[in-house]
Amino acid sequence: MTVAWLTWRQLFARRRYWLAAAIAVLPFVFTFFYRFASEDREGDRLVFLMNLNKDLVLAVLLPITAVIFGTTTFGGEVEDGTLIYLLVRPVNRWHVVLVKFLVAALITAAVISVAVLLGWFALRNAELSWAFAKGFLVATFIGAVLYCGIFSYLGLATKRGLVIGLIYTIVFENILARNLPGVKWLSVREFTVSLAEWAGNGAVKWPTPGVPMTTVWVAGSIILAVALAATMRRLARYELAESQ
Amino acid sequence: MSAVSREPRAESRELSVQVTNVSRWYGNVVAVNDVTFTLTGGVTGLLGPNGAGKTTILHMIAGLLRPSAGHVLVDGNPPAGDPTAYTKIGLIPERETVHDYLTGFEFVHACARLHSLPDARAAAMQAIELVDMAGPMNRRIQTYSKGMKQRIKVAGAMVHDPAVILLDEPFNGMDPRQRMHMLEVLRSLGAQGRVIVISSHILEELNDLATNVLVMVSGRLAASGHFREIRKLMTDRPHTFRIRSNDDRKLAAALLGDKSVFGVELTADGIMIRTGERGTLTRNIARTARDTKVRVTEIRPTDESLESVFSYLVTR
Repeated sequence: MTVAWLTWRQLFARRRYWLAAAIAVLPFVFTFFYRFASEDREGDRLVFLMNLNKDLVLAVLLPITAVIFGTTTFGGEVEDGTLIYLLVRPVNRWHVVLVKFLVAALITAAVISVAVLLGWFALRNAELSWAFAKGFLVATFIGAVLYCGIFSYLGLATKRGLVIGLIYTIVFENILARNLPGVKWLSVREFTVSLAEWAGNGAVKWPTPGVPMTTVWVAGSIILAVALAATMRRLARYELAESQ
Repeated sequence: MSAVSREPRAESRELSVQVTNVSRWYGNVVAVNDVTFTLTGGVTGLLGPNGAGKTTILHMIAGLLRPSAGHVLVDGNPPAGDPTAYTKIGLIPERETVHDYLTGFEFVHACARLHSLPDARAAAMQAIELVDMAGPMNRRIQTYSKGMKQRIKVAGAMVHDPAVILLDEPFNGMDPRQRMHMLEVLRSLGAQGRVIVISSHILEELNDLATNVLVMVSGRLAASGHFREIRKLMTDRPHTFRIRSNDDRKLAAALLGDKSVFGVELTADGIMIRTGERGTLTRNIARTARDTKVRVTEIRPTDESLESVFSYLVTR
């Protein structure tokens, strides 16, 4: 619990809670303007919110939040030299990795869940049932877990984890995976799109078929396992001189 | 609770730190080169100029670095890769950084909880009082002075009452009063049988504290022994002085007769004198100048830099 508490305090240091709050309310701002500042037609709400969640929440806000919290979970401590205070305690390093990853994933999921719920709450109607929100919440949670697995490793492996994470988000997830059919089988963003439809129980229906769910589970599990194993291995072999 | 009121550790009297033929290199750079020593209870000073390999040695004892060759044993076991070793080891790193978003108490309490101490709060309070930080303990660390940060780091490292305490330049940033208090704390802990290693590049810092001194220069163990022996070695090494006067040739000729002098050179910049007895020479110069009626305008040691002192220990 102490590792989790320290990670929590570290992730919300330097006023990052303002950043988290801004990310959480951004979709609500869009839905607010859609509802009150434009011609709001009940029938268009579903399409509007689906596209907003797909193109803004899942494609941009989720990976960016995961980059910020995922890379900071180790990157911040490596950078300022406070990681040493965790390493000189009788705590297994794999335990440190697991706890830090979980805290980053839960914070990311919580921030983006608020974003999903606020947008849904502002526009909810008969078409936008709870199943719709549930679909995106499940996609958000699993997406946060996968992204934070990847970005936790980046934060520990390199001092430029944040930058590399952002480049990965833009280039791989939002350019290559959208335009090269083969790449989407490894894209977390594509997984979350499929997950939203799967968990939405018919309330979320994309016009084109996404990545099959079997692929999502298998590839997602492999990505997560590899990312966590690599992070644990990296921390187990981590030597203090690396940060100096 | 004061420093001296901590219970002596019976088991720590048996504990030793063994460093045997240890080398550590980073690529082509050799940071530590074939160093061997054994530490038992008491305070040991690890002395050397910056870049001598002191921190690397401390980090290897703390298990944060693996030796490239040789082995380090703490209580008979290699500490690297063994989290249980940290029940016996407390490390105060040189870097000033602490979790500055926590209060002093939160930091030390978190350290205690990471050690799964049965009463973490009481242990944290005891460690904080040990370093005289009870007053500002509820302030955020980012508001602390450098000396206060050092002391809260010491509290965090001692909260689990370790048998081996490794301090990397612990007196940096401390004011004289804080320094005196810390000296008293460390002396007391060392007297209780704990293995305490303090790295420093200033010999005087270890005065009246370290019973043994290890001198590191360029990754090698240049000298080791009792503090007084090391101090004598450093004081009695050959010294070179440059003297300027109104008649250098006359003064040089007179000083040649001084038994404390074993080299005199006349240069365009004055007289260069080598001596093995610094104190005797400085007294004799005045007497010789008076007897020869020469007016001395300058006496300046030319090799008082730390590097030259430590280099002497390597080459002697």
